[in-house]
Amino acid sequence: MTVDRRDFLKYSALAVAATSGMPGFLARAAAQAASTPGTGGKTLVVIQLTGGNDGLNTLVPYSNGAYYAARPNIAIPKKDVLTLTDDLGMHPSLKPLMPLWESGHLAWMENVGYPNPNRSHFASMAIWHTADPTQAQAEGWIGQVAEKIGDPFCASNLGGTTPQALRASDFSLPSIDRVDGFQVRLPAGLDGAFERLLNLPREGEADYLGRAARQMVANTREVQANVAKYRPGAKYPEGRFGLNLQDAARLIAAGTGQRVLYVSLGGFDTHAGQRADQDELLATLASGLAAFQTDLEAQGLADRVIVMGFSEFGRRVAENASAGTDHGQGSVMFALGGGVKGGVHGDSPDLENLADGDIRYKQDFRGVYAGALTKWLGLDARDILRGDFAGPEWVA
Amino acid sequence: MPLPPLSRKLTAEDAAHLLRRTAFGATDAQIRALANRPAREVARDLLSFGDDRAPGNPFDPSSAATPGAGIQLTRAAWLFELLYGPHPLRELLALTWSNHFVIGTDKVRNVPMLAGYLGLLRRHAATTDFARFTLEVAQSPAMLRYLDNDQNRKGRPNENFSRELLELFTTGIGPYTETDVREGARALTGWTFDGGRGNQNFLQDARFVFRPGQHDTGRKTYLGQSGNLSGEDVIRIAAGHPATATFVARKLHRALVADGPDSAAVAASAETFRRTNGNIRAVLEELLASEHFYSRRAAIIRGPVAFLVGAVRTLGQPKLEAKQILALSQTAGRMGQLLLEPDTVKGWDGGREWINDTTLLLRMQVAASLTTGGTAPKLDAQPSDLALLGTERSPLAAVTGGLNPKQRLYLTLISPEFGLA
Repeated sequence: MTVDRRDFLKYSALAVAATSGMPGFLARAAAQAASTPGTGGKTLVVIQLTGGNDGLNTLVPYSNGAYYAARPNIAIPKKDVLTLTDDLGMHPSLKPLMPLWESGHLAWMENVGYPNPNRSHFASMAIWHTADPTQAQAEGWIGQVAEKIGDPFCASNLGGTTPQALRASDFSLPSIDRVDGFQVRLPAGLDGAFERLLNLPREGEADYLGRAARQMVANTREVQANVAKYRPGAKYPEGRFGLNLQDAARLIAAGTGQRVLYVSLGGFDTHAGQRADQDELLATLASGLAAFQTDLEAQGLADRVIVMGFSEFGRRVAENASAGTDHGQGSVMFALGGGVKGGVHGDSPDLENLADGDIRYKQDFRGVYAGALTKWLGLDARDILRGDFAGPEWVA
Repeated sequence: MPLPPLSRKLTAEDAAHLLRRTAFGATDAQIRALANRPAREVARDLLSFGDDRAPGNPFDPSSAATPGAGIQLTRAAWLFELLYGPHPLRELLALTWSNHFVIGTDKVRNVPMLAGYLGLLRRHAATTDFARFTLEVAQSPAMLRYLDNDQNRKGRPNENFSRELLELFTTGIGPYTETDVREGARALTGWTFDGGRGNQNFLQDARFVFRPGQHDTGRKTYLGQSGNLSGEDVIRIAAGHPATATFVARKLHRALVADGPDSAAVAASAETFRRTNGNIRAVLEELLASEHFYSRRAAIIRGPVAFLVGAVRTLGQPKLEAKQILALSQTAGRMGQLLLEPDTVKGWDGGREWINDTTLLLRMQVAASLTTGGTAPKLDAQPSDLALLGTERSPLAAVTGGLNPKQRLYLTLISPEFGLA
């Protein structure tokens, strides 16, 4: 499909750019795609756990008395922990991920955070999305990836609303709610008129809406031309998260060429009754990711995809009076896939030496991003992250 | 300096702009009825809504068999009011406040709590006392449940509500510290509710209670004020903070003037807010009669609800079946705006965030179902360009000429021009 894709890009991006002042990166797309055939070989899937996932109950320091002392009601009992190392084990709901761990393809990054942590969900999420702790940038880090690659379709969100991470300077990258419904169906007799409607000259926000609609038409054509090739290779769990992951697998199998796909799972803001809620969410996470991995293996694509997961912050070390936890600072990140070097990267959290009741972060998240950008996507991370960031060697 | 008023009497296009912003849209006759009237007088009239409701609402949440059904019926009943109610501005403001004092049906699954919350938003839609409004919201069982203040007890604080009170409801990020969040949580200890807990009791009433035994009576310092502060004190201090005037004024501009508000104009509204001690009605009346308001056309990307309700109101409020209305309330959700369930406590960001490939496709589907589809409603009259696009002469004439009326209507509803207000 490489040739089709090049033709498509040449047609849609250049035609659009020439007539309407599309952002520069869309105009560059055709040239880029034509000169580097075979881009799109590797895909990064980013998983966002929205609401502040409690890292301590995800990767549990089960040998640490301070952990149990701080959480008399919500700690994961030692006997339930899925042992990974002498000090750390996974939440029991993550059991579907054990085979990946055993095969060396599941990595945990400890104590990840950023300077001057912000406990606002939204400020903190914006920092992860823009890779900018000063909150000065509006563009997302994946939006920057798209500009760098020069392809408006090189990254997509699976789900309803586009996260800030996928915002480029003057455009948001696609959001695909369901691959099946992702096509334009016009009432009879309106094809020509619809095209003329979208091509009328406009200014301001009307111009933005016109451009967004034209890009949507191009994106839907691209997806529909390819997705029929996919045959499911795993049974996904019911629910939104499983559907989104399956659509991600489908796009990858179809060879639509996206380098970054983005999926979110929400509900981690566990201020009260945390165990019930988080247990269920982690089960959803693990069963979805396990199915995704099985599916990729069945498609013969397991070596070409890695998953990287994060949440905007972890929670306080000590539980609150509602058997929940309030907003904290650093937390864990995870990664999995054939291209991932498994294991725990970084030290176990120091629960004796806290910052304002929270674990102190030791690894800047941008160092973890840098691994994915440089070693997996083959891009210059410095340009995208606006600086040099060292991180663990989590990409094999 | 208050916002300079509009000096001319309203033209038909001015009136169309006003009704796009304050009523989601209107018919030609409704628009022309406002032409040649002074802006201030029209604004005052629009803001003098009563508490009457749309007749014949087919949805009764109290008849629900399960919590999920109760929520769906609550959404549909609200959408019915938005579509057919006599006071679209009241409903539009309630929608705006539901995006400010956010609660969500993921946690609030009790029918009377939702009804109480919505009633509060309507009653205070154009409130004369923002601090009072904030207090009543803070003491509503829906909010107590949603942000866990019902769990906030002396010596064992739950900070969730205290944090969002500052960050999202009053001052916005900046003027407060983590210590203020903690001290606020202490002051709000003991505020909880009785009744309505548990899945089985989704139709049971709930009411605010203060439990003195769980309240921390100690000395606190909050936003620079110290004393044995109570929950009421904390709400009053936060709502009366100078930064709150700016934060709330900006939200109002965002809802009624532009996706990218003008900071000088926001500052003028904030000054009016401060001068009148949080009189939202006064702020709105000044804003809706201002030169600034009338100079910013096509500056708001219509959200899913505004798009749907705008289409139906512009088409002359044709009758839709109950089933269609239920489906539309779900569709709004798939377009990113499920009533009473914003994605997060921050609410919907709106603007360009409403627009992506999926939501554009859904807008096309909705437009087809209202115009060319088999179950499209019958219209009393073909809507005028003024009603559809806010201008006397359609900028789409070159494209829509030669099409039949249904096709023309369909293309207009999916045009960028209709998508803006």
